[in-house]
Amino acid sequence: MTITTTEMGLAARVAGVSRRFGVGHGAVVALDDVSVGIRRGEFTAIMGPSGSGKSTLMHIMAGLDSSDGGNVWLGDTDITRLPDRELTLLRRRRIGFVFQSFNLVPTLDARSNILLPFDLDGRKPNVDESRWIESLVDTLGIAGRLTHRPHELSGGQQQRVAIARALATRPDLVFADEPTGNLDSRSGREVLTLLTEACSRFGQSIAMVTHDPIAASYADRILFLADGRIVDERPRSTPEEISALMLAMEATR
Amino acid sequence: MRMRWREYRATLLVAALSAAFGALLLQGTVLLTALVAGDAIGEKESVQVALSLVSVVFFAIAVYVGGIVTANTVGTVIAGRTRDIALLRLVGADARRLRAGIARDGILVGLAGAAIGIVVGIALMEALVLIGRSSGDLPADIPAVVTPMLVAPLVAVTVVTWLSSWVGSRRILAVTPLQASAAAVEPDAETIHSAVGRRIAAIVLIVTGALLLGGGVVMGLVTMLGVLVGMVGGILSFSGIVLAAPIVMPRVLRLVGKAMGSSPTARLAAENAVRNPARSSRATIGLVIGVTLVTMFAVATSSYYDMILRASEQYPEDYAGADETLAVTIGVFSVLFGFSAVIAAVGMVNTLSLSVLQRQRELGLLRALGFTAGQVRRMVLAEAAQMSVASVLFGVVLGTVYGWCGAQALLGSMLGGGLVAPSLPWFVLGGAVVAAAILAAASSVAPARRATRVTPVAALAVD
Ligand SMILES: Nc1ncnc2c1ncn2[C@@H]1O[C@H](COP(=O)(O)OP(=O)(O)OP(=O)(O)O)[C@@H](O)[C@H]1O
Ligand SMILES: [Mg+2]
Repeated sequence: MTITTTEMGLAARVAGVSRRFGVGHGAVVALDDVSVGIRRGEFTAIMGPSGSGKSTLMHIMAGLDSSDGGNVWLGDTDITRLPDRELTLLRRRRIGFVFQSFNLVPTLDARSNILLPFDLDGRKPNVDESRWIESLVDTLGIAGRLTHRPHELSGGQQQRVAIARALATRPDLVFADEPTGNLDSRSGREVLTLLTEACSRFGQSIAMVTHDPIAASYADRILFLADGRIVDERPRSTPEEISALMLAMEATR
Repeated sequence: MRMRWREYRATLLVAALSAAFGALLLQGTVLLTALVAGDAIGEKESVQVALSLVSVVFFAIAVYVGGIVTANTVGTVIAGRTRDIALLRLVGADARRLRAGIARDGILVGLAGAAIGIVVGIALMEALVLIGRSSGDLPADIPAVVTPMLVAPLVAVTVVTWLSSWVGSRRILAVTPLQASAAAVEPDAETIHSAVGRRIAAIVLIVTGALLLGGGVVMGLVTMLGVLVGMVGGILSFSGIVLAAPIVMPRVLRLVGKAMGSSPTARLAAENAVRNPARSSRATIGLVIGVTLVTMFAVATSSYYDMILRASEQYPEDYAGADETLAVTIGVFSVLFGFSAVIAAVGMVNTLSLSVLQRQRELGLLRALGFTAGQVRRMVLAEAAQMSVASVLFGVVLGTVYGWCGAQALLGSMLGGGLVAPSLPWFVLGGAVVAAAILAAASSVAPARRATRVTPVAALAVD
């Protein structure tokens, strides 16, 4: 394979990746020979029933978990067997992550949590970055909560702080695991608009897991996962079309 | 709630150590009384009183240290189980029943540990007597040293383990079912909530204790029994300080943290240590106790030495041969004190490593966000360093006060005694500092290594 991930127009890519949990009788195949790419500058949604392997796929693409087979690229770097230290530096500089739960460092307040990626790199945000962080904080409606610690924030507020952190450094690729799961429909829409704008204005690449057809309708491209396999792929679609597809998938299960 | 074996290990060990120590002291008293006193009835009694007094004081200190260590261990375990407890509460478990369960486990673990300790103590003494007999250092006809009195340390250790499990488990009552879903692993609402009551109790204990300590020093100018009053004062005031630790320690830690530099790891470590006062005071108090004990002993002996020196200049005949007696006494006392310091060290190693293990998720998150495994380890190490420096400073100050008071209360009444200035043996203090640093590092590096060996996702999945 001589053509590189970047030349394919991809921000990240997996080829033939599998992931099993456990051994013997109770073993679960979370990912089964998955090959897929996340396009650069696009907003990609990943959908699928609960337990279909969405989180696992994101963890492996972000270098947070190792696969049992296959290869993983972040940009042009093959991270499949990258030593932990280099992998960490890569994560720090090039990836933003919003987890499904437990996103914030409990001992730090919201502001320190947002600035953590800069701290880890031993630098302060420059003027341009500070302005970007300010606008993120405003759009996400957490400006009044910056001095609060995670346990003083609601689930949705915690999630929004995590989103601000993931976008703050303008990383090459942002992974978000159900970023709107804890939000009411209005703040959910605001977060989605923010993600779409980051995409169109700064060419931010985003991969988002969601169960919500409305959320997925904001994406440029939708991947469908079932039983650890990519079963379908669609360009931008309406919520109705997505619901219909999901229902059809659940019916054939 | 079922506790894991690992969580009881330290409590069992501490109970066994305290009980073994008690058994050795008790049998030693019996043996020495028989050896020293010969036949004169009156002499025998006074030797017995003096030896018993010393034994009781040292045993009380050891049991007290063991109690604080146990309360701390239980507190740490429960802090790490907040979510489990909240879940149990959510499905309808009664908090008081849960707490009673922990206290009941305390009795069982305490009893088991104490029984092991007593057996070990008896065996050790038996071995010592055998060696002594065969080498001719002990006469062949010494009486049996195993007495029914050995039940006393067994009961004392069991009761103290039970009580301290009870005290240590009080935060179960503050856990609400809601915390089952909270993102924060350990909200510090409880600390804030009880701050006023805690403050008052701490002040009352410290003031009463300080008054008794002062009383002991004054009484000590007349009679040796001043040491008993002083000991009660010491225990009360130190309990007050332990209570006040979550309020006082963060300030000491903040001071030390400023001196740690401004790398991201150092700054994060400094904030971590300060932002969770309950956790950092639980982790540091063991070390404070250890350093206080060692300093106290060092200051006491060296003040004692000064006193004897001064007295022997005034009354040369009365103090002929005092040097030799002195060396022996100091040697014996070192061992006796060292024992309590060992118990404190066990506690420190255990709380520090438990509290690192309990932070596996947090450490996993930091790694997911781009902290290298090395940075995570350095951060944990910096936290430990900060805590040990703060505890050593605090312990040295406390130990100097207690040591001087102890020496005055015990010996102020002797011929040519009176008041002397406290004297600080620098090499002992230096040794304590080094030992504290090594222990703190060792007890946090290993669990940090364990926490960073798995993938970040695996660490994040831990509850
Ligand atoms: N650490 C683990 N140990 C064992 N099995 C696991 C582990 N993590 C995930 N699995 C299993 O792998 C499968 C895929 O899990 P994954 O978390 O990727 O699902 P998901 O699509 O994100 O589901 P959801 O929408 O509910 O979040 C599931 O069957 C799950 O039980
Ligand atoms: Mg998931």
